[in-house]
Amino acid sequence: MLELEALRLAEGARPIGHQFAEHAISVVLGANRSGKTLLCRCLAGLAQPMAGRMLLDGQDIGHLDVRSRPVAIVNQAFVNYPAWTVTDNIASPLIARGVSKTRRRHRVDDIAAKLGLEPFLRRFPHELSGGQQQRVAIGRALAKDARILVLDEPLVNLDYKLREALRDELRALLSQEDLTVIYTTTDPADAFSLGSEVLLFAEHSVLQSGSPIEVYRRPVSITAAALMSEPTVNRLDRPSCAWAIRPEHVRLERPVSDAAETFRLQVEEVETNGGHTFLHGNVDRQSWVVKLPGMVQLTIGATLPVYVRQQDIMSFESV
Amino acid sequence: MASVTLDAVTFRYPGSRGETLEALSLLVPDQSTHALLGASGAGKTTVLNLLSGSLRPSSGRILLDGSDVSNLPSAQRNVTQVFQFPVLYPAMTVRENLQFPLRNRGWKRADAAARATEMARELDIEPLLESGLRVLTLFERQLVAIGRALVRPDVGLVLLDEPLTAVQPELKWQLRKALRKVQTDLGVTMIYVTHDQTEALTFAAEVSVMQGGRILQTGSPIDVHDKPSHDYVGFFIGSPGMNFLDIEVRQGRATLAGGPLLSTHAADGDYRIGFRAEWATLGTTGLPIQITGFRADGLIDDVPVGVVTAQSGSTRLHVRHRGDLPGTGVCLQVNKYLLFKEGRRVE
Repeated sequence: MLELEALRLAEGARPIGHQFAEHAISVVLGANRSGKTLLCRCLAGLAQPMAGRMLLDGQDIGHLDVRSRPVAIVNQAFVNYPAWTVTDNIASPLIARGVSKTRRRHRVDDIAAKLGLEPFLRRFPHELSGGQQQRVAIGRALAKDARILVLDEPLVNLDYKLREALRDELRALLSQEDLTVIYTTTDPADAFSLGSEVLLFAEHSVLQSGSPIEVYRRPVSITAAALMSEPTVNRLDRPSCAWAIRPEHVRLERPVSDAAETFRLQVEEVETNGGHTFLHGNVDRQSWVVKLPGMVQLTIGATLPVYVRQQDIMSFESV
Repeated sequence: MASVTLDAVTFRYPGSRGETLEALSLLVPDQSTHALLGASGAGKTTVLNLLSGSLRPSSGRILLDGSDVSNLPSAQRNVTQVFQFPVLYPAMTVRENLQFPLRNRGWKRADAAARATEMARELDIEPLLESGLRVLTLFERQLVAIGRALVRPDVGLVLLDEPLTAVQPELKWQLRKALRKVQTDLGVTMIYVTHDQTEALTFAAEVSVMQGGRILQTGSPIDVHDKPSHDYVGFFIGSPGMNFLDIEVRQGRATLAGGPLLSTHAADGDYRIGFRAEWATLGTTGLPIQITGFRADGLIDDVPVGVVTAQSGSTRLHVRHRGDLPGTGVCLQVNKYLLFKEGRRVE
């Protein structure tokens, strides 16, 4: 089991204490520059934390150099050996370890099959699409036979559709491997689709952790609520507290069986992506977004009542 | 003023074997918004480069407002561009950046200053006019870049190449809104290139879906979503993309492995049915499937809502679902579908 013990990533940052779920994917969700990449680099031995320990089954791995750490890392740039074929790229950690040629071939074939790379084994990275190149990088990381796989925003440079497909595949693929996976992202959808647990990251520390649905249901702060929401949460200042409401919890019809608050939304813009319609506008001079299923036609500039069930209002102390 | 016509435009990069663009035809009406949507390598950027004049077509014609500009240099076209990242002079103030294209064309200082103020007002950045670029956010800088691109009054066509990439997610809609406002107020035509379907559908009145150097379909956002002309369009538009299953039609009955499923007017033959995740439900009758996962994207009325992934043989399927997952013996009920043959939709 991987454990962070009073790990301090930056001057003034709160120390992190966390036990990662074993043989599972932990999604680290945070805005850009929140320290996600630094955490990855510390785990891989590419950077040093300010203080604290990283323990694997009770053993401190912080003193091991990059090569001897049981950690493999893939980052957002597609890093491969350009002059080597896909086979040799995947096999490179095995070659470095002096694994026999026959055993190497078995392992490469096995990984290539899982990643759908069999047709490309003799090709060079530049002959592959971005998605395929990133698969090769993941394949090389798997060949390291590390206990911990760190994926630092691995899909961010891919086309939208490729990202969707690879995300679907990653979950199935990684669950077959005997691995603890740390996966960083800025997209809450990744947490929902991949994560057994999610760690919300802000200011170089963990704000909250738990199962994605629990973190969604009971955020510890407005920042936590906003991180786990796409689009971000709607806010409203009340006399003694601050309210946060998720865009999907605002509706145009009054709920039949639940008590609800009514707000007046001035619609500034209506946008649709086919599956959902987003109303952008203002409530009490605060910007709000309403997410509705399907296509909804509305007049821009209109002011209309919108409803939120009382149990969907998340109330926090005013800052 | 600029309507855009591509008339059988073919383009081949020197030395390359195949055509990059194949007899592409497109009509974008004056003062409208149009999105070119497709994966990397579909040919979107090549179309932009042909319109801006940095590439010439191998054959076919490009018309702006009805006149052939195929061989006209960039400077003689009333076309301007906005890029992924704001292209500006970092040492100049906002006003100087806005004035630059005008001063370059010999405008008097006072006239250029007046026009710059006008643009700043239009984009709601007037208070920033005398600021240096360093103090601006990326969002504000992209607004300045838009202003600079549009400051010449003769501009009729604006080409936008993924202009929202650099902007924070929660500000993207505001930039789209600013773009649409400028587009209406100045009466320009906008062509917007992206691989992100949400951006294409939310920005443009019409969307063209491109693949392999061809336009597969041009239509309103609702049309390309609900009535894709090709299976590729159905797959590319929507999140998740459309589901497909092979099907055999015999005497008005569409049979899926497992038994008669749907009745149809289509002629006998092999087809694929396409259906969106929202058009199917899980039940106890229909096509037996194996559920492989459930991605809840939230709770509505305290009940999880999201997308179920399932397998039917080797085919992966996505179904929108609400509530807990049913146990064993789950079947798929397709409530609405489209029929495709050899990649194209049939009525």
